[in-house]
Amino acid sequence: MTSENFPWRPPLSSNWGERLKIFEAALIEGRDLDFHAVRSLAGQRLTTREQLRLERFANKLLKSDIPSPTFAPVSIGLLGNRTLSYLPAPLAAAGLARGLAISSVEAPYDSVASYAYSPSDCFGKPLDAVLVVLDETAFANKRPILDRAAEEEAVAAAEDLFSALAAATLEKSQCRPIFATLPAAQQVSSAELATPGTSARFRHLVNLKLAEGAMLGKWLIWDQAALASRVGIENWLDPIRYHAAKIPFRIEMCPLASDSIAAVLAAMKGKSARALVLDLDNTLWGGVIGDDGLAGIRLGQNSPEGEAFVAFQNFILSLRDRGVVLAVCSKNTDEIAREPFRNHSEMVLKESHIAVFQANWNDKATNIRSIAETLGLGLESLVFVDDNPAERERVRQELPMVSTIEVGEDPSFFIERISQSGLFDHLPLNTEDISRAESYGGRAAAAEVRAKIGNYSDYLSSLEMRMTIKPFDGAGRSRVTQLINKSNQFNLTTKRYGEQDVQRIEEDPDQLAWQVRLEDKFAQHGMIGVIIVRKDGAAWTIDTWLQSCRVLERGVEQTVMDALFDTARRAGASTVHARYVPTDRNGMVSQFFPAFGFDIVERCDDGSITYSQEVDQYAPHTTFIDVSIAD
Amino acid sequence: MSEQNVILEKITAIIRDLFDEYDGPVTMETTANDVAQWDSLSHVRLMVMIEMELGVHFSTSEMQSFKNLGDLVNAAAKQVG
Repeated sequence: MTSENFPWRPPLSSNWGERLKIFEAALIEGRDLDFHAVRSLAGQRLTTREQLRLERFANKLLKSDIPSPTFAPVSIGLLGNRTLSYLPAPLAAAGLARGLAISSVEAPYDSVASYAYSPSDCFGKPLDAVLVVLDETAFANKRPILDRAAEEEAVAAAEDLFSALAAATLEKSQCRPIFATLPAAQQVSSAELATPGTSARFRHLVNLKLAEGAMLGKWLIWDQAALASRVGIENWLDPIRYHAAKIPFRIEMCPLASDSIAAVLAAMKGKSARALVLDLDNTLWGGVIGDDGLAGIRLGQNSPEGEAFVAFQNFILSLRDRGVVLAVCSKNTDEIAREPFRNHSEMVLKESHIAVFQANWNDKATNIRSIAETLGLGLESLVFVDDNPAERERVRQELPMVSTIEVGEDPSFFIERISQSGLFDHLPLNTEDISRAESYGGRAAAAEVRAKIGNYSDYLSSLEMRMTIKPFDGAGRSRVTQLINKSNQFNLTTKRYGEQDVQRIEEDPDQLAWQVRLEDKFAQHGMIGVIIVRKDGAAWTIDTWLQSCRVLERGVEQTVMDALFDTARRAGASTVHARYVPTDRNGMVSQFFPAFGFDIVERCDDGSITYSQEVDQYAPHTTFIDVSIAD
Repeated sequence: MSEQNVILEKITAIIRDLFDEYDGPVTMETTANDVAQWDSLSHVRLMVMIEMELGVHFSTSEMQSFKNLGDLVNAAAKQVG
């Protein structure tokens, strides 16, 4: 139940409990903690059990005097006409996931009136905010049905109470209140909003008054009503315990409510995210621009998926209108990656909207660090969105301070996940806020490329990759043909063969033809490579070598090349010849053969280069892929 | 093992989680008075966790009638069985 409410968070890691134990021990012994690691543990999809353990840990952390620069201290008062005793522990836990150390003091039960109107101060100290959660029973005025005058009077009385509370909060606690909006009421009719005196209409009018006060800067709002409607009012309320335990909403909802309150507090403390870093292929459009080309990517009217990408781009633009800075981080050739921004008619985002445009073949974690440096922003103010789970994992491992949203792979859900995350929560905006994105300019400049960060081998080994190499066969034939005719980027010779050619190669004993498949702990990537080698006695020639760009920098080509040379050696071959034929798309593999130690034989007039490598001179690689080769 | 024992075992696990400072016995006769951490606040939470774990729901009047863990276990057994 708890975990289902947080779809934008990464799933629970398998060693969550052990990792928390290490932090608990460090806390007891007064040792320093890796606070970024604590933050990422707190930000996973917890079940009830982990939630409980995290709450306990958060309470101990708050009480300890270990300085934690990662967590900004926030001290709040809780005031309500129902019990809010269930909130402090989940609030402390939720704060950890958002970089806050939230300590809360609860006012004695039902002291709203005395705090608002009498000199007594139930908190007795300055605070950062007072969260006020009132339900309908806090507003005493009678509202006979159809009596508009009585209704107006009741709303005016509610407004008076809010103003009195705001004044008291300012005077006694030296801060502003955060008022919870009132969740919707059960509806007797569909005309509730049009019937003066009903609960539904009263709550609606009160919420509008709260919104107006927030616009004027009198107070902040926590939109409980929006959260309740998101989960469904029946799930939000708990009629049994409303009466038995005087709770305003279901206890199981406390973690979600706390997270949403923490998002408001984060915004108040200036800890909201400021920049959105976007992948391109299958994130902003469907397909791979380098392989599918401008006409082949799915964006806009040609498909339902294409429409979802357009909607997502419009959403991103609306975030920019609120002041969020946009950046691109994509494994692509720069010129090719920019093509849709310049020439695709359905593209909503333009280069002028992108402050930093980082398209190269480097590791994304490294690129994101460069983007942050170029923007002059801290890594903790960056949000990363990528459809590829392995890329998300890599960024989470190397840069736990970057918020990597679990957007999933279906573009129809991207908007929902980013909105739910609350990472871009903000206070009522002013014109200064919205000009922020402009101030970074639409330079679409590429950031300087840095050295690769972190321990990449650990990451690769954590992916648990398994590769299968098989000769061409009937079952794989159509996919092989598709790859041969579609792959443009990671393709050394860009030779195209039809299905009958492929079948001929398949049956030819003098050709080695491999289909390569890969899976890892996240996904079955399916066929990701096609290799065709002509065997001419002891001299072998690589006719075709192509790979999918979904799985770059994984050691795939090293593993396959090792396998090829091993096979060549066993077959008694002495030399492997190869050729690179440059096109306007395959610049990324121009150094492919030299990197394997091939020597240049000839630079031809058409720009292509031929290479060769002696089989007994070939040095195999260390890779992190389990490989099985079928004959 | 009887239905009651299975349920008591599951509830015991929850009680160990929730009341981490309590290491005394958990039996059909256990009441809130036996466990220092078991106050009215954690009581509601305990009920919620038990309901979730066992997939049962207690009515307002049922919850009022529980005198000890045994009453709760028997009420749950009726719904599970």
